[in-house]
Amino acid sequence: MTPASVASPSLAALHAAAAAAGLAVCASASWPETDADGEVPALAGFIESSFSPLLAEVAARALRSRAPPQGAGNVTAIVMVTALGDVTSAVRVAAAVDAGTRVPPLQFFQSVPNAVAGYLAVRWHLTGPVVCVSGIHAGLDVAALLIEDADADDALVVCVDLAVTNGDRDRAAAILVTGPASRERHRTA
Amino acid sequence: MTDAPAVAPAPAARRGTGEVVLTGAAAASAYGRGTEALASGLLSGQPAFAPVQRFDVGARRVRFAATMPGLPELLTEVTRAAGEACDDAGLSSADRARTPLFLAIHGDPAIARAPGADRPGHGPGAFTAAVAGRSGLAGQDIRCYTSACVAASTAIGDAAAVIARGHADRVVVAGGYLVECDQFALFDAGRVLADDGQVRPFSAGRRGLLLGDGVGAVVVESLQAARARRAPPLARLAGWGRTGDAYHPVQPHPEGHGMARAVTAALQRAGIAAEDLGYINAHGSGTGQSDPAETNALRLALGDAAASVPVSSTKSLHGQSLEASGVLELIVTLLAARKGMLPVNAGFLGADDRCRLNLVLDEPLAATPEFAMSLNAAFGGANTALVIGLP
Repeated sequence: MTPASVASPSLAALHAAAAAAGLAVCASASWPETDADGEVPALAGFIESSFSPLLAEVAARALRSRAPPQGAGNVTAIVMVTALGDVTSAVRVAAAVDAGTRVPPLQFFQSVPNAVAGYLAVRWHLTGPVVCVSGIHAGLDVAALLIEDADADDALVVCVDLAVTNGDRDRAAAILVTGPASRERHRTA
Repeated sequence: MTDAPAVAPAPAARRGTGEVVLTGAAAASAYGRGTEALASGLLSGQPAFAPVQRFDVGARRVRFAATMPGLPELLTEVTRAAGEACDDAGLSSADRARTPLFLAIHGDPAIARAPGADRPGHGPGAFTAAVAGRSGLAGQDIRCYTSACVAASTAIGDAAAVIARGHADRVVVAGGYLVECDQFALFDAGRVLADDGQVRPFSAGRRGLLLGDGVGAVVVESLQAARARRAPPLARLAGWGRTGDAYHPVQPHPEGHGMARAVTAALQRAGIAAEDLGYINAHGSGTGQSDPAETNALRLALGDAAASVPVSSTKSLHGQSLEASGVLELIVTLLAARKGMLPVNAGFLGADDRCRLNLVLDEPLAATPEFAMSLNAAFGGANTALVIGLP
């Protein structure tokens, strides 16, 4: 029996924001994608939180489905989008500090989202800038700007939001976007 | 004869045609609140590190940081800096209400101890909206950058890029980090803090970094918009570059390839040669791997000029301000260039052959650079370079 597909609000939002930014979506993926997506695969070097493994998994799904990049010098930016960040790790560290217990050294390395971005960059040879912002529209605007200014040929935009209440699920989505960009922008000042 | 700089392979950096300027700045650090307090502290050459009093460090391997007195609160300090930068730029209430905020922070310090159901109200987006609201800035098009130690410098580069392309006339970029118990515990657990209580960038015998309070804000504006309201620029924001190493999750490329591309992109956007740089405020974390990598990056991007341009890492004075580093250190660079005094690279014990640069040692160096550069690097192999030019 084929697992039932699961609608992803994050993926729909990423597509909509990409369209608004005038970017073409080359590949996409989400978590959970089907009911078969239970526990996210572990990621070596990252502990106690699903944030980084989830980001790595959904990025891998998107990158596996893309066409081979044009030319060996293709530069891909990594743009991470998260509303609350790795709140699981933050809570664990705070609890350890308050209890006076040991903080695991590996928590230091995953204390910022850049670490898993660095993992992605090495694993998939993504040589563009690494950016993390807090909103989907901001993420797509950053991606569009990096492409427009030739800091990247394309951009992997990954959105991760961990469950914050009981009964909720961790969710993630990723899209690979590229120009050309003939888009409507707000004049902001 | 001078060899041509060994420019690392890089995409041909493009930019919009608009000129970008800085018209306002504000800062707070362990030297106190205000840019004059920062400038005085820098020119004293005295590092601001002391035993931490703000929280219990009894269980920590290292007990030093550079902190302001008392218990400053991040939202208050960042809001104050954003407002003071707007004041410095002479922005009216109406100007502010049309100006978006790009904020660089690690996050809302309250989120980790908030009840689960309350955490969505403590996200970085909500924090940024609160700063914008309290500062009278626009409620639209705000962004929060959380990209570790390049968060603020990336935000400044992005602000410059959107303004140069005419997508905005003005952006306020602010950043803030105040030393607190959780990040301190993490950095202590990671064994990257200097156990001798001093940061010694590019020096033999360096033992790591130390955290420091850092809050800063700048008004980034199109030259045209500044002229229209007769606001004198503090400096041109002439060039910017952001790159990734794709080398290691948390270590820099040992040859500095990514940072060299960032430097090259910033110089290209500024339309200047390596020899035109009169000062570099280095990332200079004071760690074993990062300083040689940065030295190699400067050699790669600047060629022979890397041996002559004055360099200092002022993290040796005010400490490492994490997500706020980029804005605090750009303001340090701005103050150095405008006052004609380059701050020292403190804590130097002796030369490390892997870090041969023209470091500013012993006392501040009188110089009037036409162009100066601020560098930052972060986990994930992220690198940024910002170039300012005096008007």
